[in-house]
Order: sequence, then structure tokens, then C-alpha cells
Amino acid sequence: MANSATLTTDTRSQWGGGKSPFSISYGKLMMWIFLLSDAFTFSSLLVSYGFVRYSFSGNLETPWPSPDQVFNHFPFLHGMHLPLMFVSLMTFILIFSSVTMVLAVEAGHRMAKKEVAKYMFLTIIGGAAFLGCQAWEWSQFITGSEAGKLMSDGSIFHGANLSMNEYGPVAFADLFFIVTGFHGMHVFSGVVLNIIIFIQVLNGTFEKRGHYEMVEKVGLYWHFVDLVWVFVFTFYYLI
Amino acid sequence: MSSHTVEHLEHTESPSDMKSQIWKTFWILLAFTLVDIALYFVLDPTMFRNWVFIILGVVKAFFIVSIFMHMKFERKFLAWMIILPMVLVIFLITLMVVEAKYVDDHVNKDSVAKPATEESHDTHAH
Repeated sequence: MANSATLTTDTRSQWGGGKSPFSISYGKLMMWIFLLSDAFTFSSLLVSYGFVRYSFSGNLETPWPSPDQVFNHFPFLHGMHLPLMFVSLMTFILIFSSVTMVLAVEAGHRMAKKEVAKYMFLTIIGGAAFLGCQAWEWSQFITGSEAGKLMSDGSIFHGANLSMNEYGPVAFADLFFIVTGFHGMHVFSGVVLNIIIFIQVLNGTFEKRGHYEMVEKVGLYWHFVDLVWVFVFTFYYLI
Repeated sequence: MSSHTVEHLEHTESPSDMKSQIWKTFWILLAFTLVDIALYFVLDPTMFRNWVFIILGVVKAFFIVSIFMHMKFERKFLAWMIILPMVLVIFLITLMVVEAKYVDDHVNKDSVAKPATEESHDTHAH
């Protein structure tokens, strides 16, 4: 702050007060506020899942299905009972893509363009792999088993949609679609954002700007998606 | 960074051993997930097991937020500003558990009293 010219530059670039509140940039703070509101949305969805499931605990007509009887498939291993294996794989993929993301952020602090690009690329691959797994999981769920379920009108129904399913209460499939669908939508937007940032890294946009803060911001979002999956995994597949 | 053409950003610094902390967090998350899977097959499905899963989930969330999302190294006020509002979720959970118990106690008991419909004789595929 040696002269007034520097002061003007600083005042403009740091929130207008010369010093950023919480020692954090405006964009990062707003990302945190957004993630807080998103956390409320996901909490509401998971709490409503808990509410519906608990209210079915004494229902003998249409009992809530046990997750390991529904999600017990694995690609290329048809007909085998493998509960939890495929979602565990999905969990590992997402945790690992979170690690590559934070390594990209770390490389960004050192202004190592090539490393940032490498780790961003790996993160995109991880996100795409997770989305592929989720598509497979959904198609398994929608297609259903060969035996299906005998409906009250005498027909046999296979799989699930929003108004009918062979697994149990209608709400079971509805909640599965909305919770994992909303999370999958977040992963998809995360992958799109990561691709945009990856292209900008390759173009040298952040090198010219002097910092890789954009990588940190999408990183926050990406870790949040991982965080939500921890709870979806816990409430949907474990409990 | 001192050049006027380059934008200067104020931010909290990462520790010098950030890379090793990242990998340590990765192994912790991996281990906890493996513990989750092991307990799923070892323990019987009880409320106790559910609480173990929930606590493990919260611990995993703590590691993701503090290390991966850098919250541990930010100003404490920012951390509290983001984490404290989540207490409202506990309030929501409490209310909804009470409501769900009411539905379970009253609606389900009424439906059991009614004669069983065809759907109760359905053969499940699994």
C-alpha cells in the first residue's frame, strides 16, 4: 500500500473494503453458502426418506424391502447374489475422484499447470465412471428381476417406475429415483464444470490470471457431491 | 504475483505437508468405508448397527469437509457459520421421527385390523 494507486487496486479486487472478510475470496464464500443451501435440500430428501421408511416399519401388507434383496447385482456376474458390492465400488470411485480433485487444487497452489491438468482429467474420468455405474444401477432397478411380482389384477410386473414396482411400497422406488437422481444430477453438473475448468487450464486461462482459484471453487462443489454420496450410501444401502 | 496486471487474492494458507495429509485422509475414508461393509455382513440389522453407520458417516463427512474442503485451515468464524446452521437438520429429524412413529402406530395398526388383500400373498422374486 505504498501509494494511492495500489490502494485503489486492492480495494476494488477485495470485496471493496481492502481486506476480504474471513480471508476468503467472494466467490469461494458464495460457493460455501450455496453448498449450505444444497445441504439443506439433500437433508430434507434424506429425512423424508427416513420418515417414510420408519412409518412403514409396522406395515405387514407392503413391507419395506431390505436393500440387499434389491441392490444385489454386479456387471457380468448375472444371477449371483452380491449385495453392497456394486455401490461399494461406486463409493470408492467417488472417493478417489475426490482425492484427484484435491490434488489438482494442491498443484494449483504451486502454479503447476501440467499437474493441475493431469489431476483434473483423472477427476473427470472418475466422475464419468460413477455416472456410468449409476446408469447401470438404474437400468437394473427399472428392468427388475425375471420373476417379477404378481399384481392384484393377476398380471406380473417387472422392475419399477414411479407408480408401480415389484420390490415393495411405491414410495420405495419414488424415493430411490428422487434421491439418487438428484445426486446423479449434481455429479453430472460437476463433471460438466470440471470439463470447462479442464479446458481453461489447458488454454492457460488461470496461468494468465495468476491463480488457480477456479479449480478450488469447483473442487468445493465436487467434494460436496462426494460428501452427499457418503450419506446416500449410508441411508439407502447400509441401513 | 507482485505485478499489477496479476490479480492478487487473499486466502488462508495450506500447510506445507498438504499432500501427505490428503493421502492420509484418503486412507481413512477408504478404511471407514471398508469397516462399513464389514459391519454390514457381520452385525445383525439392529438399531445399534444403524447408529454405528450414521456415526461412521458423520466422521467421514468431518474428514471430507476439514481436509478436502480445506475448512480446517479457514478462519474459525467461517467454519461455524457454515456448520452451525446444520443443527437445524437435527431439529427436523427429531420432528419427523415423532411423526413417523405416530403414522406407524396408528395407520399401520388400522390396516392390520382390515382383512388381508391379495397383495399380501405375493411371491417375492428374491
